[in-house]
Amino acid sequence: MVYHPGLFARRKTAVHDLTLDVPQGAIYGFLGHNGAGKTSTIKILVGLQFATAGQAWIMNSDVRESQTRRNLGFMPENPYFYEYLTAEETLDFFGRLSGMDRPARRKRTDELLAQFSLESARKVPMRDFSKGMRQRLGLAQAIIHKPPLVILDEPMSGLDPLGRHDVRNIILSLRDAGQTVFFSSHILSDVEEICDRVCVLNQGHKVAEGPISSLLTGKVLEVKLSASGIPVAGLPEAAKLAIRAWHDGVQYHVLVDSEEKASQVKAQLEAAGGTLRAMQPHRESLEEYFVRVTQNNAATGPDALHGAGDGFLARPKAEGQS
Amino acid sequence: MIVGAIAMNTFREAVRDKILYVLLAFGVLMILVSRAIGWVSYGGSEKIMTDVGLTAIWIFSGMVSIFIGTGLIYKEIDKRTIYTILAKPAQRWQFLAGKYLGLLITTLVNLVFLSTAFLLYLWICGAPVTIALLQALFLTFIEMMVVTAIAIFFSSASTPILSAIFTTIIFFTGQMTKWVVELGASVKQTAPWVEKILYACYLFLPNLHNFNIRQQAVLATQENVMIASSEMFNCVMYGLAYTMAVLLAAHLIFRRRNF
Repeated sequence: MVYHPGLFARRKTAVHDLTLDVPQGAIYGFLGHNGAGKTSTIKILVGLQFATAGQAWIMNSDVRESQTRRNLGFMPENPYFYEYLTAEETLDFFGRLSGMDRPARRKRTDELLAQFSLESARKVPMRDFSKGMRQRLGLAQAIIHKPPLVILDEPMSGLDPLGRHDVRNIILSLRDAGQTVFFSSHILSDVEEICDRVCVLNQGHKVAEGPISSLLTGKVLEVKLSASGIPVAGLPEAAKLAIRAWHDGVQYHVLVDSEEKASQVKAQLEAAGGTLRAMQPHRESLEEYFVRVTQNNAATGPDALHGAGDGFLARPKAEGQS
Repeated sequence: MIVGAIAMNTFREAVRDKILYVLLAFGVLMILVSRAIGWVSYGGSEKIMTDVGLTAIWIFSGMVSIFIGTGLIYKEIDKRTIYTILAKPAQRWQFLAGKYLGLLITTLVNLVFLSTAFLLYLWICGAPVTIALLQALFLTFIEMMVVTAIAIFFSSASTPILSAIFTTIIFFTGQMTKWVVELGASVKQTAPWVEKILYACYLFLPNLHNFNIRQQAVLATQENVMIASSEMFNCVMYGLAYTMAVLLAAHLIFRRRNF
């Protein structure tokens, strides 16, 4: 997919040679910094943009065919709806577009309004909806026809913690119902919490893909020890081993960069008459992994692929842009 | 089903838009003052009343088509409502056809409302209500079919302001295409290339004057005769063909557009 910014500006490749392996019934996180190509990829998959070369498939069906979209539901980033329609009319409209007959639409609208806590807003026009309500209705319209695959572009963007919590729970409930959820997000703590598998995109290239457990090394990066009964001046021998050591007036804290050093400091604290209150190992988070892999990629080029396999979602042929 | 859903939604959007009611109110007002214009004008007051009423309906129907139609597609793109629609199993031609039909229904409802008010007012005032008047109103609708297609065409490719300017220019120049040919003929000897350009314009622009049988209808009303059905048929066929061509052009622009 080549992006044409204007007549005289340089063309930019938005996405290049991308194959995504999305297992059925999984929650798949699609990660990348701003401008990495996430939204371009999603727009190609849902038929809003056309790849300049190559083809893309969803479940062996060409994304350019309108019938392919029967199998997917889509919510764009910050979904926009007709301001003059009520929640009920909006869902009915999208039900009609999805080819549902009137009784099915009515039944499904009632179900979704109840499921997404929008029952009281049934007759409320969209112009009076809050951001969180819009997001919930956006999700409801995406799944009105019960598609096996749901694609969400930044579903948690701009939501307060309660709204994020609601959206997280909805995504989990979709997986429980057997639907596959593919979503892009910048909120990596949420991705780490709910995703089964992730892909990291950098400058239009896939730089990592796989289950989170296989991507994160599990190696302990730091250990924080907290002990009481230590003088405010601290322990100089423990401080020598530490990245940082400090006393908060009640407890003495020591941060070290290995489990071996943590054992030594623990022994020193106990020898000095202190009581160990906590010993917290810190492992690599998805956010740290993301920063590491995208920075490495910027330096070395697109490699370091993990766990790539047969694609369920997008399998480019030929020059392969999806 | 998809075309119907989009058409009904477009109609609902127009019905919930205040601009439609403003235009309708002005249209009705114009019809009501037509009698007063008849009193102060030279010629029969019934004739002037009929003439002004038909023209008012034509103008305000055109304004509905232009003002609502020119922003129709652009607004969907600008407000990103198109994202959720095209991600459904809707084809792009269905989206365009739905928007077009929705606006056409709006124009039809507007025309029927104004026509009913007009004919009722004529009847109350004791002026003759004839088939020729209905024929003129019918051809006004066919003309609006063409104008609506042009508005949709520009809306799918340009901003509402530019679309409104282009469509309004075509709406009025389309009434004068006969003069374009006559003007070309008059400069044929001195500047043959100008004549060629003017003739190309004549072929390219819609001959909206074909649909203007308002004067004939007023005269036919006085003589209580009908407009020839062959003339009506030719106008309808021309209107349908031009509409299809413009919608096809809009589709060709819209089908590969990235959003």
